[in-house]
Amino acid sequence: MITTITIFFPLLGAILLLLLPEEERPLRYAALAVAAVPLLLTLYIYFAYGSGLEVPSLTQDFTWIGSLDIGYRVGLDGLGFGMFFLTALLTLIAVVASYDVRENLKQYFAILFIAEVGMLGVFASEDLILFYIFFEITLIPMYLLVGIWGDENRRQAAIKFFVYTFLGSTVMLAGFLAFGILAGTYAMESLTSGGGLGRTAQIAVAAPILFGLLIKVPAVPLHGWLLDVYVSSPISTNVVLSGILPKLGTYGLIKVAIPLLPQGVQPFLPYLAAFGVINIVYGAFVAFLQPDLKALVAYSSIGTLGFILLGAASGNAVGLNGAVLQQVTHGLYSALLFVLVGVIATRTGTRKVRELGGLAARMPWAGGLLVLGAMAAMGLPGLAVFVSEFMSIMGGYDAFPVQGVLAALGIVLSAMYLLYMLARVVFGPVERPAYEAVEDAGPMEMAAAVPLAVLLVLFGIFPALLVSVQRPGVEAVISAIGGG
Amino acid sequence: MVTGLTFVALLPELVAVGFLILVLMVGVFFERSIGLVAGLAALGALAVFGSAAGLLAAGFSGEFFGGGFVVDNFALYFKLIVAGSAFFAVLAAARWSGGTGDAPEYLTLILSVVLGSILLVSMRDLFGIFLAIELATIPSYAMVAFDRKRRESAEGGMKYLITGVVASSVLLYGIVLIYGVTGSALLSDVSQTFSGSLTPVALLGLVLLLSGFAFKVSAAPFHFWTPDAYQGAPTSAAAFLSVAPKAATFAVLLRILLEGMPEARPTWTAVMAFLAILTMFVGNLAALRQRNVRRMLAYSSVAHSGYILAAFAALQGQATGQAVEAVLIYSAAYAVMNIGAFLVIDLVGEDGKSFNGLFRTRPALAASMGVFMASLVGIPPFSGFWGKAWIIFSGAQSGSVLVYVVVGALVVNSVLSVPYYFGIIRNMFFEKPTLDAAEPPGGGALKFSVYVLALLTALFFLLIVPISALAGGSGLG
Repeated sequence: MITTITIFFPLLGAILLLLLPEEERPLRYAALAVAAVPLLLTLYIYFAYGSGLEVPSLTQDFTWIGSLDIGYRVGLDGLGFGMFFLTALLTLIAVVASYDVRENLKQYFAILFIAEVGMLGVFASEDLILFYIFFEITLIPMYLLVGIWGDENRRQAAIKFFVYTFLGSTVMLAGFLAFGILAGTYAMESLTSGGGLGRTAQIAVAAPILFGLLIKVPAVPLHGWLLDVYVSSPISTNVVLSGILPKLGTYGLIKVAIPLLPQGVQPFLPYLAAFGVINIVYGAFVAFLQPDLKALVAYSSIGTLGFILLGAASGNAVGLNGAVLQQVTHGLYSALLFVLVGVIATRTGTRKVRELGGLAARMPWAGGLLVLGAMAAMGLPGLAVFVSEFMSIMGGYDAFPVQGVLAALGIVLSAMYLLYMLARVVFGPVERPAYEAVEDAGPMEMAAAVPLAVLLVLFGIFPALLVSVQRPGVEAVISAIGGG
Repeated sequence: MVTGLTFVALLPELVAVGFLILVLMVGVFFERSIGLVAGLAALGALAVFGSAAGLLAAGFSGEFFGGGFVVDNFALYFKLIVAGSAFFAVLAAARWSGGTGDAPEYLTLILSVVLGSILLVSMRDLFGIFLAIELATIPSYAMVAFDRKRRESAEGGMKYLITGVVASSVLLYGIVLIYGVTGSALLSDVSQTFSGSLTPVALLGLVLLLSGFAFKVSAAPFHFWTPDAYQGAPTSAAAFLSVAPKAATFAVLLRILLEGMPEARPTWTAVMAFLAILTMFVGNLAALRQRNVRRMLAYSSVAHSGYILAAFAALQGQATGQAVEAVLIYSAAYAVMNIGAFLVIDLVGEDGKSFNGLFRTRPALAASMGVFMASLVGIPPFSGFWGKAWIIFSGAQSGSVLVYVVVGALVVNSVLSVPYYFGIIRNMFFEKPTLDAAEPPGGGALKFSVYVLALLTALFFLLIVPISALAGGSGLG
């Protein structure tokens, strides 16, 4: 029951917000309150049930359509909990960071919360059709967030986003439908290890599902929609867009594709690992070439998603644990970087890396946090991303040595462009006289950035806080693969 | 033998007749008080709805008039759809017909179509079916041509009339041939003729019958009257006619095929598959090129007829029950989203550009239209998704390669339809307002209808379980 309440509370919040009068301050406080509730509920779940998420817990299960065995089935297991928590957290951060949204604020929050319902729902779904429905519920809100509140290029960006991801999810649905009809049920629990399907059938079903999920990630070369969307969005949308949305795809791999269709996915795994490496290397190189700070962060973000693909493809405990953890740590660091890009862009009036410089002197807090975020992005030990990337590479190397080695090289590449970026933007001479007068991040901006930074450090020192929760879920995946 | 029970069975029809006469008479004496007449007509639609719902709740069923008239869950369900659609059409008509002074006549026409449609879904006799179809269709010609101030209305009405009369003659000829072979027009007797190998005359009758029905449900290549008729018609007429009589026609076609000619299934499922594919593509490809929203929705209704025909193609083997469910679910899902979409036109305008920036000037209306458009594409959790999902489920269970092709075409067409439905969403949400923000006065009932329909479209998933339970006990399939 608590799972269902957490998922649908934001919907209630959205409706309540729409009934409020059009006054800015009360609206923002109300939105903060709405966003805080799911986060508090997930924290409660963590402390009360966190150690016992071997099998989906806190479940609710009622059969919806008996003849097809479709049901409203939700529950939380170790695989989903981390992202469930991160969704609640980043939505709250997005609300805090929404200072750049001024028009139609009420509607902005309402749409954001509807997207949150879909995202929370995906990470708690225990039924394929329900998974698809929640997956698709995020589509229109994100399309509207980008298309209404984005910059000049927003229309084109929103349409690209819609066309790519709608195509992807439709293909994925075709795979799901075929799977359910062949197996006679849509309950994930009964479908574990293939639900009785033979190898050929599994491959035929897995191919469309993988295609749909990889578009959502996006895996290079299916990333055509990404840059415009990331660059055009308002900062608070970026937080959700980069932190949560790609994980709908990667979580689908880890929760649906791999354990439910182990034999079907198996021939694709080397390619999946290779996709991971391509993401890492391509992301790093292209990020290096970006003149725009926001685009740089966007490519950095899809680059490090590659580690999730690599770890997931490894099929061993270390790699899968790394992948599941990377989903969370990636969300933390990319959200932090986007928030800081927003701070810098509003203060200096530019996002061009070349035009920035010497911000450390004038903006010690923002500059310092940017250094921390970039350090996290390059996988420096002591910060959370290090743990997850390291585990993904270890697991990946075990299964696919070549891909593992190349991925490790990718870390070096990412260090290269991130250090270059830091040297230009934070350190170095003050580029323009105008920058002498810029002010440091304000209280709201700090409130958005600091919690992310703290969590990056905390999970870097105590990764067990998350790993202990997710481990049973990963073990279930391993046994599903073994049993297939 | 007419007993008291017969009157109970005919309750929705009798209520409709009563209100029809009442509206006409009150209209004569209170010509100026449109609110009164419209209220009475809306009450009539609700009364029909209520009486059908009551019979459904009481589990009433039976055959009357020598088996020619049947009351079962299936028929009652479609009576609900027709009466519900009529209710919203009346609310929408109240505002529009205010200018002409002919409101009572227009509302009477709506109730006549209701009467024809609810009779139609209970008919089990080919001639009765023909009469009921005509009873529903003839007033609808007048409804389309009712907007005397616009030339398109007369043009649309004329085209509709001419093609409709041709379609009726074709249908009647088909019925006569089948009657000639069988010696009876009752569906139970017809099924005797359509067992074993078909005689050429019976086959010709079947083909003519199906062609007539294809006209009535605007299936390609018999669809060409649709865009002109719906573009010319008053909005409430287009909204109502594209949903209620069409759903009733689909329902009775389902009854004819399943009860009257189950043995000829291989023949008519193949015809349906062909019609479905053609209709989907024709409707969507034409809709893509439209700038006028009304015309776009007219072509969209052609495409949606194609989707429902896909369910007819899946009426075979173990998928039959599922396919019947699909027709039931799709009819209701389409009714709520399509009436809603048409009604928004009356509040905003029929040019695509008039939707620009609606989100900023009238956010609730924009959100409702957004729901209708997303639902017409088939995005979950809205009603259109469930309709399409059921068709795909039933198609996948049919085990026939031809049906797989039809289902594939349905998926392709759903993606194909994204640009024109989402063009409206883009205009509403992403563009700057071009019209002044001042909202035209009035239209309270219309806005109420739009919001209720948007809510029904969004919460349709709650209705799935009762509908599919009802289909299980429908007696068909």
